[in-house]
Amino acid sequence: MVLLSRVADRIYWGARYIERAEDTARVLRAFGEVFADYPRSATVRWSSLVAVAGSDVELPPTDGSDEIPVVKFLISDREHQNSVVISVERCRENLRTCREVLPRPAWAAVNDLSMYVQTHASAAAGRFQRGQFLNRVIDDSRRLDGVLTSSMSRDEAFDLWRIGRYLERTDMTTRVLGVRAATLLSLPPGAADEFAEVRWMSVLSSLSALQMYQRATKGPIDGPGVVRFLLFDYRFPRSVAGCLTELRASVLRLPRHDSVLGVIDDTDRELRSCRPAADDGAALDDAMDRLQRALLRIGDAMHDRYFMV
Amino acid sequence: MDELIDEAGRPRPVAGELMALLDRLGPDELRDRQRATDLEILTMGITFTVYSDGENIDRAWPFDIIPRLIPGDEWAQVEIGLAQRLRALNHFIDDVYNEQRIVEAGIFPRVLLDDSANYRPECRGVSPKFGVWAHISGTDLVRDADGQFYVLEDNLRVPSGVSYVLENRAVAKRTFPELFERQPIRPVDGYTDELNKLLTSLAPDGRTDAHIAVLTPGIFNSAYFEHSFLAQRMGAELVEGADLVVGDDECVYMKTIQGRERVDVIYRRIDDLFLDPEVFRADSTLGVPGLMRAWKAGNVGIANAPGAGVADDKCVYAWVPEMVRFYLGEEPLINNVPTYRCMYDDERAYVLDHLDELVLKPANESGGYGIVIGNRATAAELERAAADVREDPRNWVAQPILDLSTAPTLVEGGLEPRHLDLRPFVLTGERSYVTAGGLTRVALVKGSLVVNSSQGGGSKDTWIINSAPAAGSPARSDTQTGSQSQTQSAGVGG
Repeated sequence: MVLLSRVADRIYWGARYIERAEDTARVLRAFGEVFADYPRSATVRWSSLVAVAGSDVELPPTDGSDEIPVVKFLISDREHQNSVVISVERCRENLRTCREVLPRPAWAAVNDLSMYVQTHASAAAGRFQRGQFLNRVIDDSRRLDGVLTSSMSRDEAFDLWRIGRYLERTDMTTRVLGVRAATLLSLPPGAADEFAEVRWMSVLSSLSALQMYQRATKGPIDGPGVVRFLLFDYRFPRSVAGCLTELRASVLRLPRHDSVLGVIDDTDRELRSCRPAADDGAALDDAMDRLQRALLRIGDAMHDRYFMV
Repeated sequence: MDELIDEAGRPRPVAGELMALLDRLGPDELRDRQRATDLEILTMGITFTVYSDGENIDRAWPFDIIPRLIPGDEWAQVEIGLAQRLRALNHFIDDVYNEQRIVEAGIFPRVLLDDSANYRPECRGVSPKFGVWAHISGTDLVRDADGQFYVLEDNLRVPSGVSYVLENRAVAKRTFPELFERQPIRPVDGYTDELNKLLTSLAPDGRTDAHIAVLTPGIFNSAYFEHSFLAQRMGAELVEGADLVVGDDECVYMKTIQGRERVDVIYRRIDDLFLDPEVFRADSTLGVPGLMRAWKAGNVGIANAPGAGVADDKCVYAWVPEMVRFYLGEEPLINNVPTYRCMYDDERAYVLDHLDELVLKPANESGGYGIVIGNRATAAELERAAADVREDPRNWVAQPILDLSTAPTLVEGGLEPRHLDLRPFVLTGERSYVTAGGLTRVALVKGSLVVNSSQGGGSKDTWIINSAPAAGSPARSDTQTGSQSQTQSAGVGG
């Protein structure tokens, strides 16, 4: 089976963008849910989500809650390169030019989501409609994977799709750990508020990991345990170890993969060196920065090897 | 005339079932089905691109749910006529690039070749496989008041629309499942398979397992949807110029994640002039430098062959009946619209005297642009047209204004007649293939004759209906094993 470099590039980026949209939606959904458990007096800073989304933009300060501006920024802001609207649109633009490689219903799924997102994003700032909107984004992204998983041959195009998905997903897991988990771990022991457990639950549910964490540990939710689960439990498909395992499996099936495999080996080493950071906020923040740089190098290696011939 | 309704207002025999169903459903149900269909087209992403205010807009494909029906025996005659016509046209193209017998014989004027915008001297002496240059054509047919089909245009360069034939059918099956159950409607899906076989047959001799690539100008082209659709249906690669490279061995390669892979056949959907900057427009970024060298060396098949457009010219059109007689020794089985050639003094004089009764067409425009319809033009427009004809007679032909047939079309007020044409697609290689029907385009504006989708036209599914319904379909086998069910476990339902 022949796969054009240009098409390979677009499938890979199509996967990255849809995963980005889905992951942003998950984080927003989890944050909104946990927020409902807080008393009115507790301050909830939505702005930390801006950092999770990989943006270092300063939103204009508001009186009171920053919920609406942050949600708008992450969902519907067309100036924001990682907003849900832009990510879905870019996924569509990429897949539009490789329709002949993907099963037809995949294009219909993206097209459908894209039309929905364009018309509903601006109304999704309010809480009720936001829930519906985020669910739709997540469900349609899953639907797309479902179509591909059940009807696409396991060829190189399929592996490029998986690589895009897992690389983006790993990236999001390291961001959630680097920003939110690191902040929680840094609280002085006495200052850990009564909502600590709720906050950790929100970290887990931003990665849809709560239930699987509980099944795996059968114990209470404790910070270092959560961090270790999200970093090292390779059985969980959003953990860093889990994503890297899948990534490696797909890269191994691609031709001429030596250079990419080398960078994945480096990333595995980087991941192993994170073990001591599970108990220490500052160290975790640094470790996640290093991991993110390693992930960037995987992306670069993919580009050099497969996309520019 | 109306395609479905006779002069007395009764459904024609072929349309009996359809009209009865439309009556039974009533306008509200029809509108509901139209709405559901529009939504489906949008969701399936069946689009075409239009340029407007410097922007590319991806628009949903305009589709009228009421099909256009043609009796099977009548269509069989059209098929034969089209296959014959394309054989003659291909003889002509091969001849003008080689011996030019038709010019020597005094039948076709040399001057037309000399100043033809579509004649490519770079193609002289080339002999493509089977002597065929125009492998894929989209011939525009119209039906006049006399009920006859006439060829309006031969589109031999990069004709588009066939993907919509297949998509319209897919949609129509869901819109009127009742009718597909009861009538022998000829399927259209075989086209892409036939195209695939034809393209494969163009591979250089000795190449097995040919790699076929569809060469597109890219996403901004109005027919990109179709390029992608065809590549997908054939399992071919959809490539842009930058994906291809011609090696030192004068073979064409595509850039893949494995490295370079040889390409054997290119179905190109870009114009001649953009194909190869070494030979044609040097500023073309859509093409592939060296492609013409590779083609002339016989290392790659190109469909349609560069230069095939020489026969796709509203002026050359007037000689097609002569070509059929000259090359095939046969009488044309499908009609040309009578055409006045403004290059000849007597014919031009007639045209200038009767401008208000004629359709005036520039020889080298497509998409319906530049056409002047005599009885609808203002005096000023006619005057300008006359001046244009005098200034450049070679560029103009004129034809009588045809009374294009109509068919019932769903509009705001219910079913109303609208004018239409038909574009069947003809494949020519070792043998010929004609689509069962083709793309029916309909002018949605009342009284309008302009059917182009870029100018507010719509489309209809075209049904070729074989008269004798199949007698008794074979019974389904009842020996199949039933689906497996989950074993009821003790804990469930007890």
